[in-house]
Amino acid sequence: MKIDYSLVTRRTFLNTLLSGWLASFAFGSFYSLYRFAFPTLGKEPDFVVLNPDDFLAIPTNSTKPFAWGGKVGLFFKKADSRMVALKGVCSHMECNITYKPEDRKFYCPCHKGWFDEEGRNVAGPPPKPLEFFDYRVEDKKLIVYRKGVKVELPKA
Amino acid sequence: MSCRRLKSWIEDRYDVDGIVELSRHKLVPVHSREIWYYTGGIVLFLFAVQFLTGMALAFYYIPYFEKAHGSIIEIVTKLNMGWFFRSLHHWGAQAAIFVMFVHVFATLLLKSYRKPRELLWISGFCLLVVSIFFGLSGYFLLWDERAFAAVRVATGGAGNLPLFGGFIKAFLRGGIDVTGETLVRFYAFHVSVLPILTLAIVGFHILLVQHHGMSVPISQTGKSKEVPFFPNILYKDLMIWLVVLGVVVTLATLLPPDIAKKADPLAPPPEGVKPEWYFLFLFQTLKLFPGKLAGMNGETIAIVLISLAVLFFFLLPFFDRQSGRGNKSPLFTAIGIAYLLYFVVMTIVGYLT
Repeated sequence: MKIDYSLVTRRTFLNTLLSGWLASFAFGSFYSLYRFAFPTLGKEPDFVVLNPDDFLAIPTNSTKPFAWGGKVGLFFKKADSRMVALKGVCSHMECNITYKPEDRKFYCPCHKGWFDEEGRNVAGPPPKPLEFFDYRVEDKKLIVYRKGVKVELPKA
Repeated sequence: MSCRRLKSWIEDRYDVDGIVELSRHKLVPVHSREIWYYTGGIVLFLFAVQFLTGMALAFYYIPYFEKAHGSIIEIVTKLNMGWFFRSLHHWGAQAAIFVMFVHVFATLLLKSYRKPRELLWISGFCLLVVSIFFGLSGYFLLWDERAFAAVRVATGGAGNLPLFGGFIKAFLRGGIDVTGETLVRFYAFHVSVLPILTLAIVGFHILLVQHHGMSVPISQTGKSKEVPFFPNILYKDLMIWLVVLGVVVTLATLLPPDIAKKADPLAPPPEGVKPEWYFLFLFQTLKLFPGKLAGMNGETIAIVLISLAVLFFFLLPFFDRQSGRGNKSPLFTAIGIAYLLYFVVMTIVGYLT
């Protein structure tokens, strides 16, 4: 059957073509910009390797910071000389914490949060305890690692 | 070319008389609440000051984490008038945000947002958000320990929003932590993304003001007379701008802002660290919430409640039906006063403690 007029007018055709072109152009530009602007995320390390001489001999009841990726880790020698490693970042708003030897507590100055020596959140807004790491000394290397992670150092 | 010839050259091509005639018809209502009209103009003027001083500072500022802090110290100590432009940029920003809050609360309490001006409220709110982000990003460019802690908390707080939180946080930080990459990103926001957004929204906002004319408060309808904008109101605007310029220049000269120690991602923030004053009410709210509340993370609850309160504020013109019909709307006056009181009291409490 032959119809007298086209079902798709020239105007409809052009409108569809051009709006389709514009829409896909806009979507493509937006999507690629979005992919570009959104960073490729790194992740927190599973372990870091430090020099034991720098950390094992610190005085009791004190801390020494080390770099845990972009965050701060703290080596902490308690008053009874036991040593632990922990992430020095408040569980509330990610501010760095500081150790107060006179109170034997960790303190976050941003919103006045307190943690005891075991990292328990004892006062202020922090919702969770601090995160502790495990560590061991191997071939004159101090390896600090996330709890439960198996560390295999590359053979030099 | 003489002045006369230049004038006729322009008049041959453009309808100058038409524009002059049009501007003569721009009328502004005058009444006892008129003073609040000028806050918008003051913000516009302060934006101009910020654009100029900002462009000047951008000639010398280095947006790289190892150099940023030092480059500001260079600007302040070694360049001709560097101390002045940096200080003026700081105080201009403080003043702009302060006057913007006054403008918002005046609009709120005079119900100028009511029909048909809902989009003016919406665009104004967007400008306030952009300006606060201007403040945060500009402040971070100092790369000192105070700014570092503030940006960690602010971007981390955004990370607590449900659904999009993690995405927003990573987008703002440019990674999982606040690092040198965050600095570059904030620089890009501060000198290119936000200024262009500001120009666009300010343009839209002013266009809408021209379209609707000034809102007359419900209590003043029928009591106001109209005067021409050119020159009556313009002269008043200019007088007020002169006073404002005097105030910010005086502050810039007598109270240059501090530069704290260079940021160190491994060091704890300084004792008693506080954000800028316009974040204090949020800061204080966060401190109110305990870590655990009814078995949930108190911080998340705080952030969600704050977001809801802000969302309600944003959509207020659509909830206030009474004033839209030209009736008094005491409920929304009370809500407006509640918002104002909360903001002022929490800011003062945050400042004093």
